[in-house]
Amino acid sequence: MVSEYTRTGRKKLWFDLMNDAGVVVEDGDIVVLNDEAFDRVMAATNGHAAACFQCGTCSATCPWGLVRPEPVIIRHMVREAQLGVPGWTEALWLCTTCGQCTAHCPRGIDISSVVLGLRSIAASDGHAPAGLPTLMWNLHWDGNPYGRPPSERSNWMAGLNVKEFAAGDEILLYLGCTANYDTRIQKVARALMQIFDAAGVRFGVLKDQEPCCGDAARTAGHTGFADEIAANGSKLFRTLGVEKVVAISPHCLDQFVHHFDMPEAFRALHYTQYLRELMEAGRLNITGEMPLKVTFHDPCYLGRQGGDYESPRQVLSGINGVELVEMAHNREDALCCGGGGGRMWLETPASERFADIRVAEARETGAEIIGTACPHCVSCLEDGVAGDANLRVADVAELVAWALAKPAAVEAGVTP
Amino acid sequence: MSELHTIVCMKVVPMPEEVRVNQETMVLDRANARSIFNPPDMNALEMALKLKEQHGGSVSVLSMGPPFFEQYLRLTLCMGADHVYLLSDRAFGAADTLGTSRTLAAAIEKIGRYDLVLCGEESSDGATAQVPPGIAEWLDLPQVTYALEAELDPFNRRMRAKREIKGGHELLLVHLPAVASVKMGANEPRFLDWSLRPWGERADLVTVWALADLPVDLEEVGVAGSATIVDGVRQSKSPERRREMISGGAEAEARELFERIKHYLREQ
Amino acid sequence: MTKSTYGPADARGIWVYLEHQEGQLEGVSLELLRQGRELADALQTSLTGLLLGYALGELPRLAVACGADVVLTADHPALQLYCTDAYTRAVTAMVQDGKPDVLLLGATPNGRDLAGRLAVRLRTGLTADCTGLSIDAARRLLRGDVVGFGGGIVATILCPEHRPQMATVRPGIFGQPEQHFDRQGDVRSFPVEPDPADARVRVLERSVSEGVDLTRAGAIVAVGRGARGDMAVLERLAELLHAEIGGTRVAADFGWIERERQIGQTGVVTAPSLVICCGISGAIHFTVGVDKAECVVAINTDPDAPIFEHADYCIVDDMFAVLPHLVEELAKAGALAG
Repeated sequence: MVSEYTRTGRKKLWFDLMNDAGVVVEDGDIVVLNDEAFDRVMAATNGHAAACFQCGTCSATCPWGLVRPEPVIIRHMVREAQLGVPGWTEALWLCTTCGQCTAHCPRGIDISSVVLGLRSIAASDGHAPAGLPTLMWNLHWDGNPYGRPPSERSNWMAGLNVKEFAAGDEILLYLGCTANYDTRIQKVARALMQIFDAAGVRFGVLKDQEPCCGDAARTAGHTGFADEIAANGSKLFRTLGVEKVVAISPHCLDQFVHHFDMPEAFRALHYTQYLRELMEAGRLNITGEMPLKVTFHDPCYLGRQGGDYESPRQVLSGINGVELVEMAHNREDALCCGGGGGRMWLETPASERFADIRVAEARETGAEIIGTACPHCVSCLEDGVAGDANLRVADVAELVAWALAKPAAVEAGVTP
Repeated sequence: MSELHTIVCMKVVPMPEEVRVNQETMVLDRANARSIFNPPDMNALEMALKLKEQHGGSVSVLSMGPPFFEQYLRLTLCMGADHVYLLSDRAFGAADTLGTSRTLAAAIEKIGRYDLVLCGEESSDGATAQVPPGIAEWLDLPQVTYALEAELDPFNRRMRAKREIKGGHELLLVHLPAVASVKMGANEPRFLDWSLRPWGERADLVTVWALADLPVDLEEVGVAGSATIVDGVRQSKSPERRREMISGGAEAEARELFERIKHYLREQ
Repeated sequence: MTKSTYGPADARGIWVYLEHQEGQLEGVSLELLRQGRELADALQTSLTGLLLGYALGELPRLAVACGADVVLTADHPALQLYCTDAYTRAVTAMVQDGKPDVLLLGATPNGRDLAGRLAVRLRTGLTADCTGLSIDAARRLLRGDVVGFGGGIVATILCPEHRPQMATVRPGIFGQPEQHFDRQGDVRSFPVEPDPADARVRVLERSVSEGVDLTRAGAIVAVGRGARGDMAVLERLAELLHAEIGGTRVAADFGWIERERQIGQTGVVTAPSLVICCGISGAIHFTVGVDKAECVVAINTDPDAPIFEHADYCIVDDMFAVLPHLVEELAKAGALAG
């Protein structure tokens, strides 16, 4: 609801209301557009919004057009934000920041970052979809989006004899909130640690001390909050002497790469990239055979946003017997699972789930496994696959760990 | 009318799951429990902030507690509250709801010039729900408990409130000033506005009062002002359950479960 | 010290405030009469019921039949709907006249609304939402058990010096009384005067639905986040079990169940013979709502879900895989029974 009071508490008069609508009336005749709203959008999007020439390619490529009769029209959103039109934020929260639009934009605009910029304007104006403020409070009180006690973060690995990170370790394995609190993704973390042990990697984790990466705050438009989380996280990494961090989630990786303030020498990798390094260095030899037809689903934040389509494929190809088949839309054209951009925390009606379309694409390949490399993708795709006896979802780490651990079982023809 | 002024009573509580009973001393052990705002107090604050957006004016947050409450209360300044009042004095401690409501009422009198007092329906620790009606009685104000929504008609000094009752709702017309307790979940409390962070640091926006600052006597607050005492606490024990696992695939599980629950089924 | 208007020396009798709707006494009021009778017998004193309203009809006789020795009635058009100011004034006058030792009310929204105000007006102690009541006969004190900290802690509360010793009592805790219409009792009407100042709160509208009372349900099918809003098989299951549907706060927040079906610390505390928890993780503020059930079944895909600690029969599986088969078994059994 548009307030009847200005920010300083003065009751609005008729010219204030015109200002709100983006119109300044001077001398009764001259109508001038309000520069303030326009400037705000420019500032929040680092000037990216200026390059848009309203061609509409973004709307045409947006996956929302696959599940809704009307696509999400991003160029309208930008224009309405620039003019300060009431109701401009309605479709803003649908974006998963998958970057499909960016990949096709003829002007090369980073459109998903424009969306995040618009979200920061919306957040400071007090617009948020139901559920997001609660998520932010969880992050504030508990240091994770799940609202689970920080003292329980490492409970799941109590019996696993995992070492705490110390300066001089080869890598810090950054598990992330989801891998620590979600029983499904704990399996991915466990698999990865088994792989590291097999390869003789000297790694450590931060257990209860591990901070959230801040991704949830950033995608919600709470940039100040996300920056504070990143600053504290950077300080902790620097104090502990972390030089190389390996992340399970490509979303966490994105925060480390673009928002953490670290020395030149610092490197952040996704675990598939690190596994590839290990394989290339001869430290990881997967001898077991695993005759499976696998199709790889590119996570948006590893693929389009992270720029790496090949590392996970190289790793999978390194498993004997794996037959890699590609879905109709792969690599730069891969369809988003629907979980990014904060959508994991919001309810999506059953008829509008990208994952269902993605799973249908996977079925067409005849694959037995959809391989992927992101906790959100695992969750969304497993929802889409639920009940299908012939198709399963597995993270790359799980496939590698399985191939490492049970070559004999593989020979007997037992699948994971 | 002059500007709308809403006072929101808030409390900082330990997270319920983290409170233990010390088995030797039989006393509540909150040492390892982290603190949060009492959840329905956040709903009360959100209601006040929404009313401020609609009608202008100001929101004051009032709390009775030890000094460490201040760092939490300052967060409300980053959400849009204008001033924080903290009542902190050893004399206020260990009060039951009679003593607590008397102390808060005295502070509200001293703050003065208010139109509405909002509280959470009950606190997650004590869970009595008695402080809001208590405050209303001390101040001789109309009360609305379990409010879900409120609309103000400032010109006529009236409030329309939707109230939850057993099995349904009431719509009430209430003269202001009034006291309302807000149901948990009545709204979604907004998050901090990062641009308001500097306000959260300002010294002039937080006022701390001790007993001497309030129009109330020692005998009316704290233990002296209380009528009930706690005669022992214990950790609540869940009944012993069988915890029998049933497995073997969906069909087999259903069949076995059916066998187990058969004799609990009654003809209705 | 803040003093009440009279002390233990002058206090006599157990009083219970009785709520009613459409000519029926509320369930919790019946429970109070039964428990009040026991407390009165323990203290060898009388039990008085308070009835406020308009056109009370047979209610006073019913109260006597349920164990009241005395019923004080305030029957006036101005009292037809619950109104804090008018009811507080009337009960205060009754209490100051009769000087009871104990005054109990049901912990319903209106009961707690009234009790909270009354206790301050009377400058006395009030114990909230008791789950247990007993008498310390030696000291003539009421002991009230209350649950705090989301259900994890139980405290016993006393009101040693102030009178009346007040308490609100959680619905569904105590059983219902037997009704003996041959019981003798004294029904007295208490004069009340309406006050125009009561208009400071006016009821514009009141909508009360048929309402479901989960505290009375013999069997419950409870739904949580895991159901994802898909209620069809759960409804079929409830039908076959003659069960009510209940659920967690999350289920109510999403609108899959009505708010009055929410089970737990801030919802309803149930005591059915059987409750089947589907897709519920089992945080303590939910489980306190089913801990009194005879048999708890839990179905959840998460083997670490806390609900399994609170269940008799545990199935780690997808509820949508298991329930259709269970429905089949129940339907077959029902058909056979004819």
